[in-house]
Amino acid sequence: MSPRVCRTCGGSNIDVDQARGSAVCTSCGSVLEDNIIVSEVQFVEGSGGVSSAVGQFVSADGPVKAPLLGSGFHTGVGKESRAQTLQSGKRQIQQLGSQLQLNQHCLDTAFNFFKMVVSKHLTRGRKTEHVIAACLYLVCRTEGTPHMLLDLSDLLQVNVYILGKTFLLLARELCINAPAIDPCLYIPRFAHMLEFGVQTHEVSMTALRLVQRMKRDWMHTGRRPSGLCGAALLVAARMHKFRRTVKDVISVVKVCQATLRKRLTEFEDTPTSQLTIDEFMRVDLEQECDPPSFTAAQHKVKMQQLEHELARKLDEVEGEISCYKDEIETELEKSRPKLRGIYAAYAKEIDPEDVDVLSSTSEPKEPAVEDMELPHQLTQDFLCQVIQEEEGRGVLMNDGKRGTVPESKGARTHHQVAPLADILGKLPSTASRELQQTFTISETDGQSASGELDLDGISDQEIDKYILNEKEVQVKTELWIKQNAEYLKEQKEREDRIQKEKEQGTYKEKKKKKKCKKREQIEALTAGEAIEKMLEKKKISTKINYDVLRDLNSRGTGSGGGSSPSRASSDPLDPNSTTRKPLNRHRRRKTREANQGLAVNASIMGKRFRRLISSTPKKKKTASEVENSVTMATEPTTTANDPISDPEAMAPPTVVEEEEEEEDDLDVEEDCVSALQLIEDYGCDAEEEEVF
Amino acid sequence: MCESPWSPCCTAHFLMDSSNEEALDIIVTNVVATFRTRCHLNLRTIALEGTNVIYKPEVGKVLMKLRKPKITASIWSSGKIICTGATSEDEAKLGARRLARCLQKLGFKVRFSAFRVVNVLAVCSMPFAVHLIDFTKNNRPIASYEPELHPAATYRIKTLKATIQVFSTGSVTVTGPNVQNVATAVEQVYPLLFECQKPLCK
Repeated sequence: MSPRVCRTCGGSNIDVDQARGSAVCTSCGSVLEDNIIVSEVQFVEGSGGVSSAVGQFVSADGPVKAPLLGSGFHTGVGKESRAQTLQSGKRQIQQLGSQLQLNQHCLDTAFNFFKMVVSKHLTRGRKTEHVIAACLYLVCRTEGTPHMLLDLSDLLQVNVYILGKTFLLLARELCINAPAIDPCLYIPRFAHMLEFGVQTHEVSMTALRLVQRMKRDWMHTGRRPSGLCGAALLVAARMHKFRRTVKDVISVVKVCQATLRKRLTEFEDTPTSQLTIDEFMRVDLEQECDPPSFTAAQHKVKMQQLEHELARKLDEVEGEISCYKDEIETELEKSRPKLRGIYAAYAKEIDPEDVDVLSSTSEPKEPAVEDMELPHQLTQDFLCQVIQEEEGRGVLMNDGKRGTVPESKGARTHHQVAPLADILGKLPSTASRELQQTFTISETDGQSASGELDLDGISDQEIDKYILNEKEVQVKTELWIKQNAEYLKEQKEREDRIQKEKEQGTYKEKKKKKKCKKREQIEALTAGEAIEKMLEKKKISTKINYDVLRDLNSRGTGSGGGSSPSRASSDPLDPNSTTRKPLNRHRRRKTREANQGLAVNASIMGKRFRRLISSTPKKKKTASEVENSVTMATEPTTTANDPISDPEAMAPPTVVEEEEEEEDDLDVEEDCVSALQLIEDYGCDAEEEEVF
Repeated sequence: MCESPWSPCCTAHFLMDSSNEEALDIIVTNVVATFRTRCHLNLRTIALEGTNVIYKPEVGKVLMKLRKPKITASIWSSGKIICTGATSEDEAKLGARRLARCLQKLGFKVRFSAFRVVNVLAVCSMPFAVHLIDFTKNNRPIASYEPELHPAATYRIKTLKATIQVFSTGSVTVTGPNVQNVATAVEQVYPLLFECQKPLCK
């Protein structure tokens, strides 16, 4: 900042020379500033006379790493997963955005949205390209660019509705209120695509007016804006004497012919369509219309009303006709010859039997019996007798023979073939009442708890209609087998294959996906302890200054023996502590297999204990992990050999056993080294000596 | 429940606030319920011995349709059954029980347990048209409107776990976990819709 007042003389007239980089007071001549930092671009002449600007490109995000020119393959290493995600996201955004011709500001905003999304863990379970497309569309909406979701789905070849779902979810979670789509936004874009030449602007203006008119006539609510634009542009083009066919328009606007036609007819129904071109340009009608779907619904309702009225009228007419019909029929009846002889007796026989039936069943049955039910009961009664004679079933209840059949049927639920009586069925009222009786007697209350079926209101008659009898079952089975022959064949082949593999011993069961375990809450007494625990669980980043941390933790020695890093460090120191014997045996067994460098051992031990301590799933072994283990081992050795509680010792052995198979190739030397030694040996070798 | 001339299966009449003397008919069109039979079901047996069944071996379920009440049930071999198509909660329960009885007759040791109504869909019609854009603007972020995706504006009430879809003609569809919630949701949303109404010019 250039000083405004001279220090020596107090004069405010100061001359700042950019070339020399100095600020001088013109009154007293004292130099106030020397070597001012100038923000100018310098040019350098390269080979061939080409002048280029001096400087380096620095990326706006990510860790500030000097660009490695030589060893490119290590650029991925050392970055956190989060940074990698963001980087790849940014790359994809740039790619997609450039295809959409979005400017850099929009792309940056989209990247910011993406960062927010990642921090809220909304990318989990979603394809990155969907998320990116949604972020881009969000930007398009907030900026008001004429991009449609359809364009994005075109580029990605993804269903629009899937993208839409992701977009809606992101907008909701990020609390971003995107302004509503205005069809007017799309007009210039489509007009340009339709190639109106010099008159593009005028045609767009006309189309805009049309769209605004459509809006006032309520044609645009609930519709895709592109359809309206298409209709408006078509009309506008015709108004300006351009011959654009429906096909041209729909290829640009991406709606189908039917939609366009519908919009045009709807517009036709509005009073504005009656105006001439000039009138339309000048005048704006006051009256507004109802939405077209509403008018259609009203129309439908009206038609229904008309039909009702007609039907009523027909009824009246029919009533008269039926009167006549009845009279004619009665006349015919009278003139018909009467049945004589046996036929008469037969006709009469039914009546006394019916009477008997009625009297016997008058108690349980309700008096209201329809005529149609009588033949049913007749045959039923008869059949019941037959069946019971055949099967010699005893009467379980004294309600009458009628009562026994459903009750016994209900009691035996495994009965395969339904008896005839059941097939014929019972009256709903009697059945339900009797069933109710049986079930209230035999069952206790709390039906839903016991899971028993409450058959109140269910008639067996109906239920039985749903079950086919044997012959029908056979026929259906054949049909079904024929129809699904392919599927059955496939199933058989699969079975054979599995059988063969089982015999051979190569049968692999489909492994169930391992559920990712939830992160445990860290419980710590002091801040130091919390930091230690966090360090174990989380991957260590390159941004932490370990020296400072070490100092911090050296102060926190009082943290309880439960802190695991202390365990980790004390273990190399105390291999012979009795509580750790089982572990040591494991380790000793493995050490006989091979010998490796100290640094590796330290890292392995640290890693092993880290895994014992935390129950997080096995992560990829990267250098950072190795670093982590070493930092744990570097926990101050001043922490005394705290007595390690038994339960903790017990837990690790079991964990070790589980993970033994995974760690078959890990080796541990028996010689234990102090933590400080480990740090010294560590140096920069750990990065290369990765263990698998 | 009283009936109005044009809605034979109306289940609720609600008197809206004093500004509106007429009552709004909320018609429940679909009730989805699930229950368990606590036993394994052999889908092939059901498919071969039942009428009105569709067997889908690829998916592993059987669709069984009952005539009265008009219900479609998806039956899985684990014994879990989903019943859709009923027009009231009681009807759903009746249909479910009927279905269980049918399965019982086919020979399975069926027990009727864990009956739960999962979803209720109701339709309601406002006597006015609604300006969706204003409605969305006033109620952000609870309301959302994407004409490219769906012609209706969606309004989600978290406390009731109900979703309301408002169309520009004034018809409203509500989905919620039970009938009471649905009714409450309509009551809640009515004043908001009333503000953004567009009087119909006839």
